[in-house]
Amino acid sequence: MADPRSGGSLRYSQDVAVEGMWHARIVRSPYAHARVVSIDGSALPENTVLLTPDDVADLSMYGCQIRDEAVLSRGEARFVGDPVAVVAAPTRRLADAALALVEVDYEELPAVFGIEDAVADGAVLVHERHHVSENDAAYFGIRPVDGSNVCHRFRIRHGDVEAGFAQADVVVEETFTTDGAAHVPMEPHATLARWTDDGRLEVWSGTQTPFNVRMDLAAIFGVDQSRVRVVCPPMGGSFGAKTFVRLEGLAAATARKAGRPIKMVLDRAEEWQTLNRHPSRITVRLGAKADGTLVAKTVTCHADTGAYADCGPGVAQKMGFAAPGPYRIPNVHVDSHCVYTNAPPNGAYRGYGQMQSIWASERTMDIMADRLGIDPLELRLKNLLREGDAYATGEVMHDVAFEECLRNAAEAIGWNEGREGKGLCVLMKGMQTPSRASVAVDALEDGTYRVRCATVEMGQGARYAIRTMAAELLGVGVDDVSFPDPDTDVSPYDTRTTSSRSTHMMSRALVEAVRNLREDGRTGVGEVADQGGLDPDTGQGIASSHWHQGAAGAVVEVDEETGSMKVRHVHASVYAGKVVVRAAAELQNEGSIIMGLGTSLFESIDFADGQVMNANLSDYNVPSITDLPRITHDLVEREGAPVHGLGETALPPIPAAIGNALQSFGIRPRSLPMTPERILDAIDERDAQAGTRELEAAE
Amino acid sequence: MNCTLHLNGTETALGVDGKDMLLNVLRDEVGLTSVRGTCGIGLCGTCTVIVDGQTTASCILPVGLADGKEVTTIEGVPSDDPVKVAFEKANAFQCGYCTPGMILTARAFLDENPDPTDDEIAEALAGNICRCGCYVKIADAVRLAAGMLRDEKVAA
Ligand code: FES
Ligand code: FES
Repeated sequence: MADPRSGGSLRYSQDVAVEGMWHARIVRSPYAHARVVSIDGSALPENTVLLTPDDVADLSMYGCQIRDEAVLSRGEARFVGDPVAVVAAPTRRLADAALALVEVDYEELPAVFGIEDAVADGAVLVHERHHVSENDAAYFGIRPVDGSNVCHRFRIRHGDVEAGFAQADVVVEETFTTDGAAHVPMEPHATLARWTDDGRLEVWSGTQTPFNVRMDLAAIFGVDQSRVRVVCPPMGGSFGAKTFVRLEGLAAATARKAGRPIKMVLDRAEEWQTLNRHPSRITVRLGAKADGTLVAKTVTCHADTGAYADCGPGVAQKMGFAAPGPYRIPNVHVDSHCVYTNAPPNGAYRGYGQMQSIWASERTMDIMADRLGIDPLELRLKNLLREGDAYATGEVMHDVAFEECLRNAAEAIGWNEGREGKGLCVLMKGMQTPSRASVAVDALEDGTYRVRCATVEMGQGARYAIRTMAAELLGVGVDDVSFPDPDTDVSPYDTRTTSSRSTHMMSRALVEAVRNLREDGRTGVGEVADQGGLDPDTGQGIASSHWHQGAAGAVVEVDEETGSMKVRHVHASVYAGKVVVRAAAELQNEGSIIMGLGTSLFESIDFADGQVMNANLSDYNVPSITDLPRITHDLVEREGAPVHGLGETALPPIPAAIGNALQSFGIRPRSLPMTPERILDAIDERDAQAGTRELEAAE
Repeated sequence: MNCTLHLNGTETALGVDGKDMLLNVLRDEVGLTSVRGTCGIGLCGTCTVIVDGQTTASCILPVGLADGKEVTTIEGVPSDDPVKVAFEKANAFQCGYCTPGMILTARAFLDENPDPTDDEIAEALAGNICRCGCYVKIADAVRLAAGMLRDEKVAA
């Protein structure tokens, strides 16, 4: 059977259409912080609907972790692009034309940009108070700091860092930063909302989080969750962009006023005003003995979440708990903060904050190796977590594969044949914990089977993997197992399709579902729940029921005159446990590596006073086929091991592997992306230091 | 204006504004959702169609300029076409959003250059973005398709 993707027949969220629907466009604030004084729609033709803050005054605040959002922001825009009104018309073209006819008067208010200013004393507060949400995405003990821009702070307290540093022969301290980045899914955000005659809300939306969207929509409209239905057609990519409530509240509120179904599809430029990746600033202090034994580490992270928290608290927490790295370090303190600014909201992005802290921590390892005069591979091997070791959170590590991945990466780039221009990185990253997954399998009249499952398809191949696993358990061919679009009315509850958890969790839930189906004859439901979680004040507990493990190696060349770097080869080694569908696993690895290259080399959102200056694909570059170095990778499998998710493991180690390859030339990049200008600065810094040392030696 | 496209071999008459972009006309008037927009400025290749033998970004082509011309979308490429088959064999897609544009671009390219080098393949696809990052397997697919097309010629 021909694949619907090669024939072009696959229909995405943006292709959903229902009878009588109108199209809507969003009127957005041109100011980073402003109060809406008045909205004038008098120039609009007949046959348009204008939704203003007055129309939604009855709706409740929402937010997946902090309740800080309102449909149309209650007339106070907090970033350039914050929706202040919606216009709807019978066609997209008419809606486009109507958009230009809406006049809005604003009163500009003071705004705050960047982490440094947001945490300074007396900073403008983006929100006065921080209310923790009731959504089940706010499960981990959120610690807002009222009267500040910090909407969550997370700590790890493990051992005695002062005593640890006192034992150290060498201490290094460095601050690293990462710029904001855009997900750039090829298909834009798209949502269709309608109210049924009996007052139920139905939404078709490209989203990774159907049940969280249902919870927030129910909260917004003050109805029971059973009165809201969310259906998820396939997405043309997401990478974290299509998570939690994005267009759904606006479309539903407009549909309510218009009395007809409303469809919203974003223009490309609006993507940069919808959700991006957290810029970060991370300071690492690391102490080691002369023989390379790590004795103490402190990490301070700040994640800029923009004007609304979204899942930023969770991102900051994962950034924090991945920061110690896969090493035995007896004394570790981590302080991670999620900070509001007047920028578009930042949220989930492939790797969920962990790329940022892995970048900082793994760059520090190579700086330490330099200072100690120890080979960076040896330094890592000496300190790696091994089976049965406890992590900084107190949890005991099982099914450990760091060493194997690291050695594979080193071998692939020829580490032993000279290490000029070569760099390594090893990582651990957490999976959503606690989490719950359920799946139902139905035996159909025609002898085939149907899987009802809320795992969404965004290109990662989850549906095919889940069908494959179900078919194996049922003893039938994959084509005898169907998997309709996730639908909260019929698919059993699942936490969400994030953090590379779905294949792993569903592989376990399916076993039970198929067993129950055998007993029942018609239908079987399986459910698994992973317990865990961390104390937000000490960071002790279970950060991840299951750790993703991997490593990367990179080979680079630099033109020291221009600062331009050529990446020659990248290898990623990822622990897969057991591979379900090899081609899909390879594609996820390759895709993660390529996205990691964009992050490493050029992807950066350019802001001026809160305005995105490069919100198009001409000024914001994403990797094309001509940007690629030699790409290789391997999937580590083990007899009897469980299925490990691998949708993002190969992304976070790429930047540090490349940065560490530069370090082999004495060039020490600290900021992502590593643009030619930044590399030139790092070369100047190296040469200035060498000059100082020569002078000192001469004296 | 009245505009006639020879769309995938069928005469298709449309009453449209000639300034409307071909992409929107194909999606909204003809219902061909295989033609997809991403960048809207001619840079990403997801909206690629073939107009009189030339790969064209339909997001920036006013439909009036396609009047009377042959327009081919992925529906006009038979399902046993070697390029389509090669994309499937090589697993050269994830979400599949970029795939029709990739296949059409590769199709037109291989007609001109039946025995390309790896660099030529990359050059030909430089204007087609795949954010899922399937490029390694896309290049495999194009190499595979080139071989299949050459074999077909030998057989014929
Ligand atoms: S949408 Fe036409 S080239 Fe990108
Ligand atoms: S397969 Fe998703 S964009 Fe290419």
